[in-house]
Amino acid sequence: MMLFIAILIGCIVGALIGVNIPMIPYTYSGYLAIAIIAALDSVFGAISSSLQKKFDMKIFISGFFVNAILAMALTYLGQKLNVDIHLAAVVVFVGRMFNNLGTIRRYYVEKITDRKIIAKAEATIKESKKQ
Amino acid sequence: MSKNKIAITLGIVCMILTIAIVIQINTIKGTNETVSQTLAEDELRDEVLRMKERYDNAYSSLENAEKELAQVREQATQNDDSSAEKEAEIKLNNNLLGLTDLEGQGVEITLQDDPNATVDSISVLDQISNHLVHDSDIRMIVNELKNAGAEAISINGQRVVSTTSIICIGNVIKVNDSRVSSPFVIKAIGFPERLMTALDRPGGFLEELNSYGIVTSIKKSNKVEIPKYSGVISAKYMRTQN
Repeated sequence: MMLFIAILIGCIVGALIGVNIPMIPYTYSGYLAIAIIAALDSVFGAISSSLQKKFDMKIFISGFFVNAILAMALTYLGQKLNVDIHLAAVVVFVGRMFNNLGTIRRYYVEKITDRKIIAKAEATIKESKKQ
Repeated sequence: MSKNKIAITLGIVCMILTIAIVIQINTIKGTNETVSQTLAEDELRDEVLRMKERYDNAYSSLENAEKELAQVREQATQNDDSSAEKEAEIKLNNNLLGLTDLEGQGVEITLQDDPNATVDSISVLDQISNHLVHDSDIRMIVNELKNAGAEAISINGQRVVSTTSIICIGNVIKVNDSRVSSPFVIKAIGFPERLMTALDRPGGFLEELNSYGIVTSIKKSNKVEIPKYSGVISAKYMRTQN
């Protein structure tokens, strides 16, 4: 829960800061967009791995920057070659995002189902004790 | 790794992420105008193409009508000597006015901007402008050709008539209200040797252009084809003196 509160606060503060920052030249907006997708992918990855208790700070930070830089480099190369390589990066990142979202979803669904099963079991135990 | 630390890191990363997203949204919002501008540009381009098609259609139908008129005139004057004479006169006058496609002996001159000249390749004391073909060069050549007895001249398909002006507009040259650019092909009908000598002689104008690096060529031809004048000759203010 703590995780989501932190994310929410981060988002609000970020939006407040972002509104007051001047915009960047249009030429670079393509790079920023691909970096945003990469960062979004990292955040989803971090949430899913922390739910699975496999979170590693070094992997997260390095992934955050290396992914973003690689995606931007690909975009640059694509512009030079006149091929939309950044689409490939977008596809990969969004695919991973859905994977991670699936992991998160499964974790919570299983948690709720577990709770129900436990509650049912406890109720049955209580009833059997009364009898 | 404590849970708090993870939460704080993710919070900071999300903050950076939102900042980036908001900046991106602002940037895209600011450039929406450019997008619509290019859309408007595309529409204008379409409009221009449509207009050009209509113009071409109208022009070809005008050509057909002119051909028909010529035929009718010929038929009408077939059996009458005096009107046949008039007809021949009309033909000659039309040729002189530039209203007909012509062919005949003459020369073809080609001028091209210095292909090796770039801003970096020329020396400090030189100017890139010296390596380009200018309107004055074209005027000079037309003048030399006329002086040598050229009967009809065209520049890149634009017939030189009595109202023709040759003017520099930016990086192209305006001839008869249409733009022409390098390479320039100047065709002239006349006595080929005289026309050739007028420009090709030692110390002549082509040699001068050559010395600046402009690529020139001149060749005699037995069949130079010169198109007719495509504009309208205006006669709004002139009157015959009496």
